[in-house]
Amino acid sequence: MTPLFEMQNVEKHFGTVIALGGVNFSVSAGECHCLLGDNGAGKSTLIKTMSGVHPPTSGQLFMRGEPLTFRDPREAMGRGIATVYQDLAMIPLMSVSRNFFMGNEPVKTVLGINLFNHDFADRVTMEEMQKMGINLRGPHQAVGTLSGGERQTVAIARAVYFGAKVLILDEPTSALGVRQTANVLATVDRVRQAGIAVVFITHNVRHALAVGDRFTVLNRGKTMGTAKKGEITPEELQDLMAGGQQLAALESSLGGTI
Amino acid sequence: MSELAQDERIKTTSPLRQALVRPELGSIAGTIVVFLFFGFLAYDSGMFSPRGVMNWSTVSAQFMIIAVGACLLMIAGEFDLSVGSMIGFAGMMIAIFSVTLDWPVWTAILVTFVMCTALGALNGYIVVKTGLPSFIVTLAFLFILRGFTIFFPQLIERKTIIGGVSDAAEGDWLASVFGGKVGEPVFIWLADLGLIDVFERGNRAGQPVIDGIPALIIWAIGLVIVGHFILTRTRFGNWIFASGGDAQAARYVGVPVNRVKISMFMFSAFCACVFATCQVMEFGSAGADRGLLKEFEAIIAVVIGGALLTGGYGSVIGAALGALIFGVVQQGLFFAGVESSLFRVFLGVLLLAAVILNTYIRRIITGEK
Amino acid sequence: MKKIFKNLLVASALAAASLTGISASAAGERYVLVSHAPDSDSWWNTIKNGIALAGKQMGVEVEYRNPPTGDLADMARIIEQAAASNPNGIITTLADYDVLSGPIKAAVASGVDVIIMNSGTPDQAREVGALMYVGQPEYDAGYAAGLRAKGDGVKSFLCVNHYINSPSSTERCKGFADGLGIDLGNQMIDSGQDPGEIKNKVLAYLDANPKTDAVLTLGPTSADPTLLALKENGMAGDIYFGTFDLGSEIVKGIKANVIQWGIDQQPFLQAYLPVVVLSNYHRYGVLPGNNINSGPGFVTKSGLTLVEKFAGEYR
Repeated sequence: MTPLFEMQNVEKHFGTVIALGGVNFSVSAGECHCLLGDNGAGKSTLIKTMSGVHPPTSGQLFMRGEPLTFRDPREAMGRGIATVYQDLAMIPLMSVSRNFFMGNEPVKTVLGINLFNHDFADRVTMEEMQKMGINLRGPHQAVGTLSGGERQTVAIARAVYFGAKVLILDEPTSALGVRQTANVLATVDRVRQAGIAVVFITHNVRHALAVGDRFTVLNRGKTMGTAKKGEITPEELQDLMAGGQQLAALESSLGGTI
Repeated sequence: MSELAQDERIKTTSPLRQALVRPELGSIAGTIVVFLFFGFLAYDSGMFSPRGVMNWSTVSAQFMIIAVGACLLMIAGEFDLSVGSMIGFAGMMIAIFSVTLDWPVWTAILVTFVMCTALGALNGYIVVKTGLPSFIVTLAFLFILRGFTIFFPQLIERKTIIGGVSDAAEGDWLASVFGGKVGEPVFIWLADLGLIDVFERGNRAGQPVIDGIPALIIWAIGLVIVGHFILTRTRFGNWIFASGGDAQAARYVGVPVNRVKISMFMFSAFCACVFATCQVMEFGSAGADRGLLKEFEAIIAVVIGGALLTGGYGSVIGAALGALIFGVVQQGLFFAGVESSLFRVFLGVLLLAAVILNTYIRRIITGEK
Repeated sequence: MKKIFKNLLVASALAAASLTGISASAAGERYVLVSHAPDSDSWWNTIKNGIALAGKQMGVEVEYRNPPTGDLADMARIIEQAAASNPNGIITTLADYDVLSGPIKAAVASGVDVIIMNSGTPDQAREVGALMYVGQPEYDAGYAAGLRAKGDGVKSFLCVNHYINSPSSTERCKGFADGLGIDLGNQMIDSGQDPGEIKNKVLAYLDANPKTDAVLTLGPTSADPTLLALKENGMAGDIYFGTFDLGSEIVKGIKANVIQWGIDQQPFLQAYLPVVVLSNYHRYGVLPGNNINSGPGFVTKSGLTLVEKFAGEYR
């Protein structure tokens, strides 16, 4: 089956700096493919290349087997590739309803004037939040009063509602506590089961193993191979991420606790 | 995962706390306090007679017009410090066009509106393209416009006031839209009933002391309604909140932040021009010192009204109430017989109280507390 | 939250209490003097002192009001407010006839007696329905000064205008130019109110125009820094220097022969007399049959003793 989204031998250079030196990656509908990489491995460049912020220097992106190029992130979004960045693009001062429909406000026309259809927005917001398991006091609750995990879930719900087929999640659990992480992982699972292709980028192996179907390690701008769930142990993954020997040396001095 | 139902650590917030989270409520409370205060202090001073009410209503309406513009712009995340100079500049241009160049007044007014809105757009364009703080860019225009406002009349007439606009505006259809009065028959009727005093002497003897609601007040109410409607009920209003709340996030989801900000600078300039036109039509002359420091007064009214200085939160109704408070306090202190220099002390205290209250409210909203 | 409310309530109660103390009124008539001067203009101290003295002596209450920034549109609102508070009389300047005539006429028509002081002309005062005019017609004073200077051999001058927004200021310079018999071109400079700026602008002008015969300043705000400027460029005593109004530095300058004369428009009379006239008018129905010209009084070195004693206070 052709993957929904694929990158072949993608490289990205910034002047003399080679940020990505060869990335091979693919994800299918209904699959959660985890991209693991330590800080500095080139994850943010990779995300930006995937979502259309940077065009690749060489290599090719494919969607359903067809080669494609994006001119800008709007075009990528138009094709169904949605990215939820670490800072979420949520505005704490505004209500959940307004945030949810920001940039895509539903409109009803009254006497020839286009008005923001608050009723529709409020209703849909509450419905989508229910589906994701978030109980709001009301659609006008400010995003700032939600926990970090809830905000992540809102951001994911927004992307899904507006037609994401490929959902790229940039470190969604890195700043969250235990319980909130569990909530977000549950959301990811739900989204995956709804048939969306999820690219889950993280440096936390345990989180990745909780939801991932496949795992790819990114190290120094190159993908180091892909393994399926069950084919690889957490320790092996961690070794690959950190470059093997360095981590072994550290491990022994820390008494094997990492 | 179904136990997400009710986290026992979320207190059900008290209705008062919930109510305070609305931006207007601080200013509603402030308005009530101010009226009680002056009701107690100045009840027999003529402040609440028809003429007294007209006096502080007119001053409040002045502030309201520019506060609406400042409010929307502040919610969008920017400041316009050139409003006061724009008022002086617009008034002067109307006077020069209609008196010195002898254009019909309606042409003078329309051309001036176009000029001011274009200057607002220029302000906005520079801010958006250079990324400089709007504080600095509009501060520059504050000086530039004020300089021209003093230079032009000096060049033409060796004076800093150009008069004669009332004569030029005689019979002009657009002049009365800004400088006229509405509802004269109602006030004549009220005077007949004895509810309003009449003039005792001079060539207006027998006429009611208030002969109509000034166009200024109508414009103020109109702008408040339009501003509030656009902000809360339209898509564009959501974009205003978004642009001020987090411009980067807004851009990411496709909000045309630059377009929103430039539009708000244009609206702020438009409001300044409305103010200036009403003033010139009412007083029949333009002076080089008109509007001095009014931009700060507008910002104070907006902050009293609940807007956050950092943008993304605020209310036009609140700003309107802030302007009302401002006008009542400014004129009320005169009625109460207070030394006029204490007005500034009062203003500073009021501003501080408003900002502290707003910060507290913001923390409730964003959950820091 | 409750604590903040409580604090605010206490603070406003205290404020209310203190303000009621300030506004305790006298039993006599109440007059309001409205001036056009911004808060920063110190010349009006004499006026404030004059009305305070008159109020005490006549047993009436006189309030002083002004637009803080000098904005004449704000002044119009203040006149409307004063009229709405139903005083026995209003004493006001007529800095801009167009702007102020409406509110003043309305005040007169509603039964408040008005006297015009300081700015405006006697004709304008009559047109707005005022009882009389007490002041120094600006153009006439400038003209008289110009004639005097011409007689002393002056052919060119610099006019240092520190309140150019008020038309009366330009009247003074224009009158002076006409008295000298020359055109008013760019001899009038907008010096602003800041002393440092004024000094530097005067120095710059005199550098660029070294053959200037005379300097005319319009008040202590422009005279004091000009004195410093002339000291700095060595022209003090060489250049003919006349000024409007008096002040402590101006008096020193006259004594030191740097300033030839000061024009005293005698602001004390502009403040004191209207209060006396109004009180007597309201009590006994008497009114002087003419306007009162409070100036120009040319004060030279010989007339200085009393001036010195009360400079900045009553002179």
